[in-house]
Amino acid sequence: MTFFLNLITIVMYFFFGKMNPDMTVFGIPSTYLEFCFLGLCLQMIIGTSLATVCGSIYNEIVSGTWSYLLFQFNFIEYSIGSTLAGVVLSSLSVFAALFLAYLFMGSFYVISIQEVMLVIVLFMLILIAHMSISMIFASFTIYYQKNSGLVPLLYQLTKTFTGIVFPLSLLKGFSMIVSRALPLTYGLEALHSVVLTDQTNWQLILTNSMILLISSIVIGVFAIFLASKSIAHSKKHNKVDWY
Amino acid sequence: MSTDEVIKVIENFEYSNFSTSFWMGFKATFFRNIKIIWQYKFALLLGFVNTFAVASLFFYIGNLVPNQSIAQDGYIVSSVIYIFAGSMLVDISTRILMKSMNSFTSEMKQGTFETLATQPFGLKKYFVSEITFEVLYSLVFSVIYYIPVLLIFPIFKGLNLNFISVLSFLLVIVCVIFFFFSLSLLAANVTILIKRGREISMIIIGVMHLLSGSLFPLSLFPEWLRIIAYFSPMTLAVQSFRLCLFGQGTLMDSIVWGSVVMLLLMSIVMLILFNLTYKKIYSKIRYKGTMHEY
Repeated sequence: MTFFLNLITIVMYFFFGKMNPDMTVFGIPSTYLEFCFLGLCLQMIIGTSLATVCGSIYNEIVSGTWSYLLFQFNFIEYSIGSTLAGVVLSSLSVFAALFLAYLFMGSFYVISIQEVMLVIVLFMLILIAHMSISMIFASFTIYYQKNSGLVPLLYQLTKTFTGIVFPLSLLKGFSMIVSRALPLTYGLEALHSVVLTDQTNWQLILTNSMILLISSIVIGVFAIFLASKSIAHSKKHNKVDWY
Repeated sequence: MSTDEVIKVIENFEYSNFSTSFWMGFKATFFRNIKIIWQYKFALLLGFVNTFAVASLFFYIGNLVPNQSIAQDGYIVSSVIYIFAGSMLVDISTRILMKSMNSFTSEMKQGTFETLATQPFGLKKYFVSEITFEVLYSLVFSVIYYIPVLLIFPIFKGLNLNFISVLSFLLVIVCVIFFFFSLSLLAANVTILIKRGREISMIIIGVMHLLSGSLFPLSLFPEWLRIIAYFSPMTLAVQSFRLCLFGQGTLMDSIVWGSVVMLLLMSIVMLILFNLTYKKIYSKIRYKGTMHEY
């Protein structure tokens, strides 16, 4: 399904790109489709990594398997395992979309091996950042035994304010602050620099990578702390197998 | 109990004098769902931010169009407003379908569907009352969520309406709601069979969104895709919605009456399909023993 939806979204923006938005006005040396293709491919994977931990734990709680899981795994193992499983599957849709874009839409990127390695590193950093956020939401879910609705909200904010389908230079004031508070903004900015420009902006890539890394560590540690408190709370109030 | 006996029990529930009336059942469903929604009141507040984010996306994409204007069906309008109007209709329709599907998916997940389906109320009445509630709920909340958004973004600037176009616009809206009510009923029916309501609705909405031309005029499609697009009721609905708002479109215009007829016909077909299949599907999941599965 992810594959299908990914393709539909890309095709939709392919036709939107036929209205010829001039990307050079915004200082972006590419066509519209080349610009948004990267973000659109990432969008689904980010959605998966944001929703997986929190969503899976909610499902375990609803279906009554949460108490059993607590005996089998610790929270970090569970988070990494479930995120990786989801991300691997949704990543397949990205490769398929890339292949189809090459085949039918004439969109292509020419990048070196060194740039491919950089893309992989940035991709991992983006994933880890979103997994940590999902772990925080998961700890709320464990505590309240309810789905807070924060994941869809954050996903929508990410889709809108991180420069996936339009350049960040269009944003002003408060929307720019929202944009800078979202990890994908930094990841995507660095990815655009690697893939779309001839001269790699190392300063930007390094800065954005460090922001992603540090925020992932801080959010991750905080998430583990919150999750352990939430699990202790459910055990204390005998709510582990209750919904 | 054999499948035939199960159907007899359902029919007894539906047509017996002791069966609860539709109104009573709807009231019960209404109060039950309100209680559940109230438990998630925090999520209701998040809806405002979510709608603002969705609207912002349309707004910024609209700004990318060269000259920031789009011509279609005899009117020229700002690209921001053009995209905003089409996408808003698709967004609200998406919410209606998603809410309905999520409701049935939750019942399946929590194992409460079986109990609800065998209430002294009848399976059909249960389906209809549940979907009616979800359609009304998502519609009312979508409108509430969009009020601040419509005040922030300059959508009112491009409106070109008269009394008859307002009436035609309202008729189109009613037909769209009726269409999504019928679609939700049929999709809910399929949900209990294949258990994946959210996925079904996402695929339906994804295809409709692409074909509706909410982001761009349909003239950008190749000829073959444009023909396919007109088989989707949302395509004509979005087109007539815009024509009524920006081009004083009325029921005299072929696009507007065409969309009304198309939406009504499709709704009737889906209601008939629901009526023909709901018992069979229910019997099938009982027979296969997959009622408890998710």
